Amino acid sequence: MSTNKIKITIVPGAACGGCDVSLANLGERLLEATELVDIVFWPTVADFKLEDLKNLDHIDIGIFIGSIRLEKHAEAAKILREKAKFVVAYGTCACYGGIFGLGNLSTREELLKKVYLNTPTTENPEEKIPGQKVVINGVDVTPPRLTEWNLPLNNIVTVDLYVQGCPPIEDSINHFYEVLVSYAKNRKPFEKGMMIPGAKTLCDICPRKKPEKIVIEKFRRVHEGPIDDELCFLAQGIICLGPITVAGCGASCIKANMPCRGCLGPPADIIDRAGKFISTIASLVEIEREKELSDEELMRIVQEIVDPVGTFHRFTFSSGVINKKQEDAKK
Amino acid sequence: MKVSNHEEFEPRIVAFLCRWCAYAGADLAGVSRLEYPPNVIPILVPCSGRVDPQYILLAFKNGADGVLIGGCHTPNDCHYVSGNYKALKRYALLKKYLEQIGINPARVRLEWISATEGQKFARVIREFTEELKKLGPLRLR
Repeated sequence: MSTNKIKITIVPGAACGGCDVSLANLGERLLEATELVDIVFWPTVADFKLEDLKNLDHIDIGIFIGSIRLEKHAEAAKILREKAKFVVAYGTCACYGGIFGLGNLSTREELLKKVYLNTPTTENPEEKIPGQKVVINGVDVTPPRLTEWNLPLNNIVTVDLYVQGCPPIEDSINHFYEVLVSYAKNRKPFEKGMMIPGAKTLCDICPRKKPEKIVIEKFRRVHEGPIDDELCFLAQGIICLGPITVAGCGASCIKANMPCRGCLGPPADIIDRAGKFISTIASLVEIEREKELSDEELMRIVQEIVDPVGTFHRFTFSSGVINKKQEDAKK
Repeated sequence: MKVSNHEEFEPRIVAFLCRWCAYAGADLAGVSRLEYPPNVIPILVPCSGRVDPQYILLAFKNGADGVLIGGCHTPNDCHYVSGNYKALKRYALLKKYLEQIGINPARVRLEWISATEGQKFARVIREFTEELKKLGPLRLR
């Protein structure tokens, strides 16, 4: 083993495995990469335990995949930060908390109760819930506990590089690969807080026709009637998250005549994605007839949007300005 | 302004006021020496249509108990023709969003206050302060 190789770990948090698979998109270059890097920890492909991560003396680049939803994820993230020169949040869940973020609309206790006790198909007479101590044949096999809330990686540790995508697709992976290789060859550190793919929005690369002025008279959902496959979705009253989503997916959903759901996450300068989208979408409503319609009518049309949190923050609620369900409204 | 338990709770209101109407109304309340509670922190903005809901969420995050948006009367008072309508529509959607994430939507208030309505500005602040006192402090998790 050459000592010039850099050491890489790929640590999973709450993830579906798609990000791990997306790394396989490197194809044959993954073999070339082994000339430059040593992957010293990757539980998805070989049997590693958290102990193995603890026992490593140093890591050059620590890639974290998935959000923080179990206490052991938080522990792994902290160990990773301690040992690694650079920490990379790879994929939407690591960057923004991902779709699990919508779980923050319930407390941990509510979630566990619902899943393990209250669903109609559940039979659990002893009311066993993960988190309780379990000992079988004298061996402690207590399952891991959920953290109180789902969090993106940068809520636990400092992150040096973000790779956006659910999962990151070819262009982003290629860019990331170049960064890795250039670090492995020249030990050239990367710009802290760097984001791949970067700053352009999906609308910038969208192939659809955009009218001079986008006017929404009525909101439509995708199942309601035919969709024009050449015209901007927003101009058809269909909510599309293109304006607040970073371009790095090649507009694959748009090309399949489906509006953007925003899985890549927002460009870097957005503070709160839902707040920004409320600003965008509300201003388009009946923009030509504002003064003809009553204030009440305008408010009614805007409030027809069924699920603002689940629509605007579908993949990013955990990284919002207010990222948890509050108790205030009950008063 | 946050106080310990045995004292009365004094809410903190962040008010985004447009420079042409609501801020001038607040000025008039001042020069007319009208009395209103000192709980309001006014922020001058060019137009109520400039108030991005992101800033309202940030205000809550940073300790506001209520947020007031003050703009020009509809339909025709807005200096920029229709900025107040943008504020109105965003406000309607933001209320729905806040309710979903468990924040009482009454903590956001939109009022049209013209440059001559110093009286109205003082009344709005009085009412809003009372209402927020009833709701109690916003404690985020």
